Amino acid sequence: MSVHVLGIRHHGPGSAHSLQAALEQLKPDVLLVEGPPEADGILSYVQSPDIKPPVAILAYRTDQPQQASFYPFAEFSPEWQAIQYGLKNNIPVQFMDLPLAHRFATPEESAEKDSKPEEEKASVAEYPLTHLARAAGFADTELWWEHQFELRLNHQDSFAAILEGMTALRDTLDLPEDRENDLREAYMRKILQEAEKNYETVAVVCGAWHAPALVNQPPKKDDRLLLKGLPKCKIETTWIPWTYRRLTFASGYGAGVMSPGWYHHIWQAKPDERGYGWMTQVARVFRRHQMDTSTAHVIEAIRLADTLAALRDLARPGLAEYNEATNTVLSFGDDSLLDLVQEALIVGQRMGEVPSEVPAVPLQSDVQQHQKKLRLKPSDERKALTLDLRKDLDRERSQFLHRLHVLGINWGTPAHVSGKGTFKEQWNLYWEPEIAIRIIEKGIWGNTVATAASAYIKQQLNQVSALREVAQLLEQTLPANLPQALTDLLQKLDELAALSGDIFQLMQALPPLANISRYGDVRQTDTAMINHVLDSLVSRISIGLPNACTSLNEESAAEAFDRIQEMDSALRILQQDDYTQLWHQALVSLADHSQINGIVAGKACRILSESSIWNDDIIAQKFSLALSSAQSTSYSATWLEGFLQGSGMVLILDETLWGLLDQWVAQLEEEIFVQILPVLRRSFATFSKPERRKLGEKAKNGKQSVSVAAVASQDMGFNHERATAALPLVKQLLGLKSATNE
Amino acid sequence: MAELLRQHAEQLFAEELEALKKADSHPAPPRWNMSPWAVVTYLVGGKLKNGFEITPKYIGNKRLMEIAVATLTTDRALLLYGLPGTAKSWVAEHLAAAISGDSTLLIQGTAGTSEEAIRYGWNYAKLLAEGPSAEALVETPMMRAMQDGKIARVEELTRITADVQDTLITILSEKTMPVPELNTEVQAVSGFNVIATANNRDKGVNELSGALKRRFNTVILPTPSSMDEEIDIVRRRVESISKALQLPAEVPALEEIKRIVTIFRELRSGMTEDGKTKLKSPTGTLSTAEAISVVNSGMALSGHFGDGQLSAEDIASGLVGAVVKDPVQDKVVWQEYLETVVKTRDGWKDMYRACREQI
Repeated sequence: MSVHVLGIRHHGPGSAHSLQAALEQLKPDVLLVEGPPEADGILSYVQSPDIKPPVAILAYRTDQPQQASFYPFAEFSPEWQAIQYGLKNNIPVQFMDLPLAHRFATPEESAEKDSKPEEEKASVAEYPLTHLARAAGFADTELWWEHQFELRLNHQDSFAAILEGMTALRDTLDLPEDRENDLREAYMRKILQEAEKNYETVAVVCGAWHAPALVNQPPKKDDRLLLKGLPKCKIETTWIPWTYRRLTFASGYGAGVMSPGWYHHIWQAKPDERGYGWMTQVARVFRRHQMDTSTAHVIEAIRLADTLAALRDLARPGLAEYNEATNTVLSFGDDSLLDLVQEALIVGQRMGEVPSEVPAVPLQSDVQQHQKKLRLKPSDERKALTLDLRKDLDRERSQFLHRLHVLGINWGTPAHVSGKGTFKEQWNLYWEPEIAIRIIEKGIWGNTVATAASAYIKQQLNQVSALREVAQLLEQTLPANLPQALTDLLQKLDELAALSGDIFQLMQALPPLANISRYGDVRQTDTAMINHVLDSLVSRISIGLPNACTSLNEESAAEAFDRIQEMDSALRILQQDDYTQLWHQALVSLADHSQINGIVAGKACRILSESSIWNDDIIAQKFSLALSSAQSTSYSATWLEGFLQGSGMVLILDETLWGLLDQWVAQLEEEIFVQILPVLRRSFATFSKPERRKLGEKAKNGKQSVSVAAVASQDMGFNHERATAALPLVKQLLGLKSATNE
Repeated sequence: MAELLRQHAEQLFAEELEALKKADSHPAPPRWNMSPWAVVTYLVGGKLKNGFEITPKYIGNKRLMEIAVATLTTDRALLLYGLPGTAKSWVAEHLAAAISGDSTLLIQGTAGTSEEAIRYGWNYAKLLAEGPSAEALVETPMMRAMQDGKIARVEELTRITADVQDTLITILSEKTMPVPELNTEVQAVSGFNVIATANNRDKGVNELSGALKRRFNTVILPTPSSMDEEIDIVRRRVESISKALQLPAEVPALEEIKRIVTIFRELRSGMTEDGKTKLKSPTGTLSTAEAISVVNSGMALSGHFGDGQLSAEDIASGLVGAVVKDPVQDKVVWQEYLETVVKTRDGWKDMYRACREQI
């Protein structure tokens, strides 16, 4: 009977190589691997041909899926290789870490690390290593470890050396008490003792830091006492795809490594050819970014790296040497180009895959099926996806992404579409391993994406009471094509609209609905329901608006102004004659109403003028009425502001209006003029610079310019016959044909 | 020797070089005076096994020096690139001194540098009298370096016009220099290599052609990363220069050097060291080398005209001269800096007064 404790470094390719060699030599009967015992049941999937590292074991509390933990494995992870070895040789493989059932159930801990991807407090093990690295004359611990263990070709005795080093560290260093670590090691010992009873040769694969604790065992009684009465909870485990980026320290993963891509390369390449393969890949990355890089460059870089290694008394170049060679030979000293290599090679853009038969919550499998069917492969690269909603596949994709979006699973985020047309949709896709948790979390809402999304919306609907929120939900829901949820939403909206006395809230809800109604064509959604709601909204608003706008203070008037503007553009999108008619009636009464704030009345007047409900004569009349001396100056000024906001073009081109304004300003007393100057300035400030300049010029020239311009156009003396000949084409271009026929 | 204004590196540090050679246990490449390990030690300093102390010549990242030396052991040429005053020529000189024991094979690059200065020239009297012959040929430092297997230096490579620069291509790739007039060639013997320096700040530089660039390994020498590093550089250089120039003043206290370095760093980075105040940067480069010369001129002033103690008045004129390169723009920058930073800083009153008088 013998026990072999093989202390490894998580995600160390050198450790993995040594471990392979050691296992071949030891031929153990049983393999104990550091990892959650709950995952023993899903270990067999490691042999599946469809599993492609990097993958991770995801373990979560059944009743609180957001409390989860990841155990990532890359192909070069020693644990992965150990499991592979065990399964291949039909040796039982067991995880031996403290069950998550206990770890998750300990309350103080759950608060501090919920859903953080953390395998273990690796820093505890990393930090003492600095002492060893310093002793060996390395400033950088990572570097020392890389040269000492990862790049090593001769693996003999490295486990004994690691064990000795760690024992020395644990004996001499003054470490803070860590109850969790004690518990874990006690449990590991317990499992180990059980295995010893049943098997001849036991091999233990665990983090190097724990190795001494398993070799020099304290009395069994202490462990038993320590492990007694730990709280428990229920845990589910499954495999999920992982990415190399999430294997790095930088991603917040405690036991991470600096350079997964580089380690992958070390693991795969033949030891003598590491440099060739690596520099060639670097050269390819450079070429992809339009940097001329010849084979001669590659040769020189490898030579430099080798020489550097020799100069530094290293057995072979490490990543630092290759990076320096890249920098010196390939990028002419320019540091910034190394970033390209960092992203593409040193970290690596690899994402794993798991077989479809891995146990998963039904929602998860449904997502996977959709991904396959819609040919949307999750990837950790940020990708832009443009969908043409006129195509069936793209429409289904959009629907799927929208449903996930509704569920708060933000694999895709909608982006702004460039160009016109309502049939285009733009998404930014970026898959993170955490998305898997969110899917499991949302699994309680239903077994398929569609039912879950519907149920989720319904639940949200029960919690909201403001009309606007409902409308926003509606905007999310419609592109997701969820008929059941849609009906519920519209009903709720209708109810709220009937009850709500707040006209402005109704007005706020309308634009999204108008958007939806307009999208309806492309998405082939049934918009009848929406139109019904729109009907009721438009009529309610049109009736209530004039009253809602009376006696507003300045602030609310400004809000009313914005709402009216939004509502108007929404109705313009809809182009429904009966809506427009109602709306214009409301505006007419607004414009004529005497109790209404000037800014609102002015805006109403402007809209009516733009939609040619009122002709120029009426406008001129309203204008002079609003600006007449009997009105208070502040009313005149705000009215003007409401009327002119947004565009000074009207003033430049409309001579009648210009004359009215000119006259009004001219007859102002100097005192009053000074008083309202700020208000005037405010409305003129919104004009664009060229507009203001033109207006200024026009004002400077006074009335003469008016006549000059008018006279000029008459006196040009152009050939009327030839002009008439061109008119039909112009009309055709402007789409005026029918209008002139009438 | 003492009468020389400035000694070559191999003369000034002859003792160190000798000691290194003696203690060297690593193999040296052909015609190198010492092994690459020893060259790195010579540059970055250290203690030899027999207790002999080697002074650091380059203060900064050791890895950069390793890359430079490793480059020279392969047959690639070395290009030291960076802002003016980042010790490019200094490093080149010491590399040549350590490797070949000879830092004098130097070609100074200017806009007027001709092909003859790089390849070979002719003694025209002889040429006319005897026709082309080996005796009429005038060798350049480059040619001599090739023949003797030594390091040749090209200073300010980018100032040389592009067509002349390209003369180097054959030398660097074929390691030969044809002399068609004599129907012969000079083939480089092993040990030959080229160290070029170039700065990336000055206007009017000639970008290297792709073909030439490919034959160089580029090492960028950065400005000193930390305050302490920069102070260390200034102090060491001032000490060694004042020894060489026999300045009568005492070597200044660390405090005074620290003030100068602080001013230089702050103006260069456009921010005070505590990161609280934003500053305008002047047009000059404000390199460490200029800081050194400010201290030196201050010491000369105080030694010859003052009391031998470096005071703010002695520094001020040099300081203003180094910062205010453009009489209009830089003056504003400098005045702003004086009023907002120097005036309010504790214990800088003397500096403020001295600088005010200079403007």
